Amino acid sequence: MPPVTHYLFLSFVLFFIGLTGVLSRRNLIVQLFSMEIILNAASVNFMAFARLYGDASGQVFSILVVAMLALELLVALVIIAAVCSRWKCATPDDAKDLSSQLDY
Amino acid sequence: MLNHILSAFRTYMHGDGAVLLPEMQLFLFAIGTLAMDSWAANTSSEKLGTNSVFQQNYWNPAIALAGTAFSALTLWMLRARIMQSGDLAGFHLTLVVDSYFVFFSALFLAATALVILLSVNCSTISPVRQGRYFALLLFACMSMMLMVSAVDLVVIFLAMQAAAISAYFLAARPGVSNRTPSAAVRFLFSSALGSGLVVYGFSLLYGLSGDTNISQVARALGGRHNVAKVIALSRQSGQQGLQMFQLLQSRLPEAVHWHAFTPEALPIAAFMLVSVGMILKFAVPPFQTEFNHANGETDFGIPGPVILYLSGAFGFAAVALLLRLLFTIFADSQNIWWYIVAGMAIAGISYGVLATLRQTNLERIIVYLSIAQMSYVLLGVVAANEGAATAMTYYLLTYLFTVTGVFGILIAVRDKNTSAGALNDLSGLRQRSPVTALLLVVFVLSLTGVPPTAGFFGRYFIFHSLLETGHRYIAWFVVVSSLPLAYSYLRIAVYAWRGNKSETESAAVAFGVFEAIVLGICVFVSLAAGLYSEPFTRMARYAFGQ
Repeated sequence: MPPVTHYLFLSFVLFFIGLTGVLSRRNLIVQLFSMEIILNAASVNFMAFARLYGDASGQVFSILVVAMLALELLVALVIIAAVCSRWKCATPDDAKDLSSQLDY
Repeated sequence: MLNHILSAFRTYMHGDGAVLLPEMQLFLFAIGTLAMDSWAANTSSEKLGTNSVFQQNYWNPAIALAGTAFSALTLWMLRARIMQSGDLAGFHLTLVVDSYFVFFSALFLAATALVILLSVNCSTISPVRQGRYFALLLFACMSMMLMVSAVDLVVIFLAMQAAAISAYFLAARPGVSNRTPSAAVRFLFSSALGSGLVVYGFSLLYGLSGDTNISQVARALGGRHNVAKVIALSRQSGQQGLQMFQLLQSRLPEAVHWHAFTPEALPIAAFMLVSVGMILKFAVPPFQTEFNHANGETDFGIPGPVILYLSGAFGFAAVALLLRLLFTIFADSQNIWWYIVAGMAIAGISYGVLATLRQTNLERIIVYLSIAQMSYVLLGVVAANEGAATAMTYYLLTYLFTVTGVFGILIAVRDKNTSAGALNDLSGLRQRSPVTALLLVVFVLSLTGVPPTAGFFGRYFIFHSLLETGHRYIAWFVVVSSLPLAYSYLRIAVYAWRGNKSETESAAVAFGVFEAIVLGICVFVSLAAGLYSEPFTRMARYAFGQ
């Protein structure tokens, strides 16, 4: 098994990618994905440390992070869909695509 | 068989169940509200009768209020129990009931009850399936209580997410006006980013300690802090420095070449991630967006009571959780992180005050200034002595009631003329309704911190504790920053006081009985806590078990 620092490096890179995505991209959907990458970075950390300490609570935390990630994504997409329908941008008739409407 | 089940239930309620009882009651009442709402929506109106009580909108808030009342009663009984037999802990030491939990839960329940009362007749809240709205308020309150009750990183994270998801739905619930809920989307995104940062910070804390219980994490971080102290001492010349160097060489040979800050670097990184994430997640930044201005809208597109709940109760939950983490996990390294907290607080105060100067929307003014108010509370963490603990809880307690009072008036004024809620709407308020104008002045003076009101003592206690611990410059910053703060708040009062009735052509402001109750409670607290602050400071002291 590789040492724990390798996993930490991976998770830091993921965290950095996510943070850059959130701060630099202006498209809501891409921002959302970047946030999920940050959560995944934390999840990698938890798994690595759980392995290091031989402790199950890190694995439990990791599973819960994934579950919460799915839930948050769902809620966010529902709300974005609601906003889009209010703005009349997600209808098939509308030529404008989702990303250009959500750009701000 | 039934006896077995009953006895198992009884054992549960005496053990783990008692720890969770106030939250469980809120949950049951929320489910009850949902069920009642769904039943009323699915039953045809002929069956119910046109004048049936179920046709009216009082049914849902009544159940929700009963839920908060029951929960408060249980909390009161728990308070008596922990006074007798000490703090309760349950669910494998993940949840505790201590005086801190009791104080903040009471605060959240009060905030929820006040918001429910303000929502009953609020015309900006959509009347369609209103039960869901009240159920969401109860779910949010329950999650915030869990946040304060939890002492395990996993449970803290789950409670935070539950609270945040309730908040997303509360903010995004379609209102009556056809405005875009863009503030809701902004809130969702900054909150999701906040949860990412907090979880990454938690993962570092778990990595540093190998445990998720916050007292174990605190112990591990305390060990690292001691290593840092030994390294710093071993660099000194003289006999003691040499001894420490030899100790370090025998116990932890690799640390000989470390800088004294090295063992503290990761805890401080985790601290930064957790505190910044928490502030992003729950505090007011979501509303800072200038996004709405682009569409020519100056208000949030969110009903007034919801804004009050998000900027009030959720801010309190974030501060309460942050305080618990700061005073347990990061207690040892206070001498390092107080710079960071002081910087954040000063930035928050400056930002909140400066951003308000040119605002003309009433809700925006109050929300921006609540950033500044929460930052004053954070300055108490910089002092971190006994007086500061009382100051912070007293500040939160009185701020809740004053800000609710201001919002109550704004909601009532806004309902009548259904405008965008600009400062100009208030003009001539003194002639339209002298009592309302007077109440508004009282609340505004209290928020400003003028002596006979509650706000003065909150600010003064913070100032005093900062002076006591030798943070002279920050203490004077509190005083100096009060001037632009006073300008922003008093501007509201001035608008309410001047102007003529004929200019605005607005109707007189008439309060319903629910708004009157809320304003009565709020004005009582704002004045009573200023004129005779002893019972309120005693309550504030209770939070930290003093």
